[in-house]
Amino acid sequence: MPASPSPEPQAGRLTLERLALDHRDADNRPFRLFEMPELTLQSGARLGVSGPSGCGKSSLLHLVAGLLRPSQGRVLWNGSVVSELAEAGRDRWRRETIGFVFQDFHLIPELDIAANIALPARFSAWRLGAAGQERAAALARRMGLPDPRRRAALLSRGEQQRVAIARALFARPALILADEPTASLDAAHAAGVADLLLEAAAESGATLICATHDPALLARFDRRVDLTQTVQRRAA
Amino acid sequence: MNPFPMVLADLRALRWTAPAIVLLVALAIATGVAIGAQERALRRGSAGAANDFDLIIGAPGSQTQLLMSAVYLQPDALPLVDGRLLNTLFKDERVAQAAAIAFGDVSRGYPIVGTTAAFAGRWGRIEPSEGRLFAAEGEAVIGADVLYRMSDTIVPSHGVAGHAARPGEADAEEDGHRHEGHGYTVVGRLPRLGSPWDRAILVPIESVWEVHGLGNGHASDAAKSDSPFWKQGSAGSGPAGAEDRIGPPFEGRRVPGVPAIVVKPKSVAGAYQLRTQYRQGGTMAFFPAEVLVSLYGALGDIRDILVVASALNTVLILASVLLLLLAVAGLRRRRYAVLRALGAPRSYVMLVIWLGQVALITLGCLIGLGLGALATKAVSGLVAERTGLLLSPAIGFGEVLPALGLALIGSLFALLPAALSYREPVVAGLRG
Repeated sequence: MPASPSPEPQAGRLTLERLALDHRDADNRPFRLFEMPELTLQSGARLGVSGPSGCGKSSLLHLVAGLLRPSQGRVLWNGSVVSELAEAGRDRWRRETIGFVFQDFHLIPELDIAANIALPARFSAWRLGAAGQERAAALARRMGLPDPRRRAALLSRGEQQRVAIARALFARPALILADEPTASLDAAHAAGVADLLLEAAAESGATLICATHDPALLARFDRRVDLTQTVQRRAA
Repeated sequence: MNPFPMVLADLRALRWTAPAIVLLVALAIATGVAIGAQERALRRGSAGAANDFDLIIGAPGSQTQLLMSAVYLQPDALPLVDGRLLNTLFKDERVAQAAAIAFGDVSRGYPIVGTTAAFAGRWGRIEPSEGRLFAAEGEAVIGADVLYRMSDTIVPSHGVAGHAARPGEADAEEDGHRHEGHGYTVVGRLPRLGSPWDRAILVPIESVWEVHGLGNGHASDAAKSDSPFWKQGSAGSGPAGAEDRIGPPFEGRRVPGVPAIVVKPKSVAGAYQLRTQYRQGGTMAFFPAEVLVSLYGALGDIRDILVVASALNTVLILASVLLLLLAVAGLRRRRYAVLRALGAPRSYVMLVIWLGQVALITLGCLIGLGLGALATKAVSGLVAERTGLLLSPAIGFGEVLPALGLALIGSLFALLPAALSYREPVVAGLRG
């Protein structure tokens, strides 16, 4: 693990080692939300995760990102076990390795486009620097957002998701996690955003894991996993 | 890490609530600051005004009343002491200076005070800023704030006890009690003293006696009693003749009474002896400080009550602001969870929450100090206008310290919502 993000994304091999996650139901009885076969993604791979609402698509992304701990199994990055790191270690690994795109964008409405894109840099550095500013501006242009000084609160939903994708790409992550990136958009915007996401991931050479129930988007992934089929038992 | 872009975004997200919080904290602080500073300024200003009044002798009665009348020129009907006491005092070797103070007349609302030229010059401490001190009967030297011009003629009216005149304005009460046929000519103006004496018209004590038909206390009394002195005075011609000599000693057969005598003793020991001596035998003697100390005691008690009340007030406001901020931090769970998901360490989120609250509270405390200073100045202006007492309020350590302490305590309590965010699981926050 490098101490600081290198300018080029490091190639990374993600291994999900027989991951399983337990939840508790309304009566506080535990049940297994999903169980996955062992899965290894080489650098630049694309994985589409499908399944109905509540089947654990978001939870799988949270597991990979180290926001949740698996009930069973391990997450490995280039052979080192990420899922067993302490919280601070997982925070740091996440900052250096992962870019996150959410269904509801989650921009900071009070900041402008450029500041939203460069927000991840603030977690580790005091000053953004000329290179960082240039990168934020370049990403905004790449995403078709000509005026980086516009406040995020004034953007349309499609524009907001494009800012969110640029924000996820800012730190040159080796792994991009997208949670229903098109579900909050109308069809026209959804297609454009999906194009941008797939193209940007390909350009940067990053691995992309995308949770979606949009068949059109899912069809564009070479590897797919359907979480409904991985559940072995629902009730205790 | 640099939390400030997020701190600014958070503050901007509060919209008008942020300035409202700052204002609430500022008002709470300002109240406490103003009470403390004002009380101290009042104490200093009133003590400063009593500077040249070392020992006051009067007829037995209320010391406070005599002090208020002689030093602060809030006239009252006072019993008189025998004027011959002045001569006794002049001869006393423990006495450096002594002067009578007689009041009761007004002109355009300014009190006319009869005294000696020596005391008008504050025992030589001040020089007239314009003209000279009075040297003959019928002459007047005016305080810095009196709206008469040099060489103006001042016609005195008999003051009515309990009637509060407005300085600079003649009213019906004054018009109805004019001492017709008497007048003073302004010959000098005193520099600013910062006391009610800035609004007084100082005249020779002999003139005050004469205006009231009591003679002038000198041997020339009988010879002069028929010729109105003011004609000479207003003519302003020629040096005062021997018979017009004013000031001590008062060698006349009959020396009229005076309400107050100011004594400047030669030594501290002498001062105490004089005070003891004139506390008996039909007189009362005291140091103004004695009376002021008991007045300040009462003032201090009131101040303490007000300070406690305003401190409670401040604590309540601070508590409600912190509760509000706690609620706001709760509403922003998702926003902060997103930061965590984007890679922010827990300490970053904690710092963003804490700094935002500290900024609001600290800014409120600082503005409160400023507002408090302004309020103190405004109140001092009102006091100066009503009494002539010049107050120079200053925000001292005693006011800054509680404000800083409050900022510190607020900052400590702001750790609470910050710490709660530290424990918050990211995934729960992301779900909203």
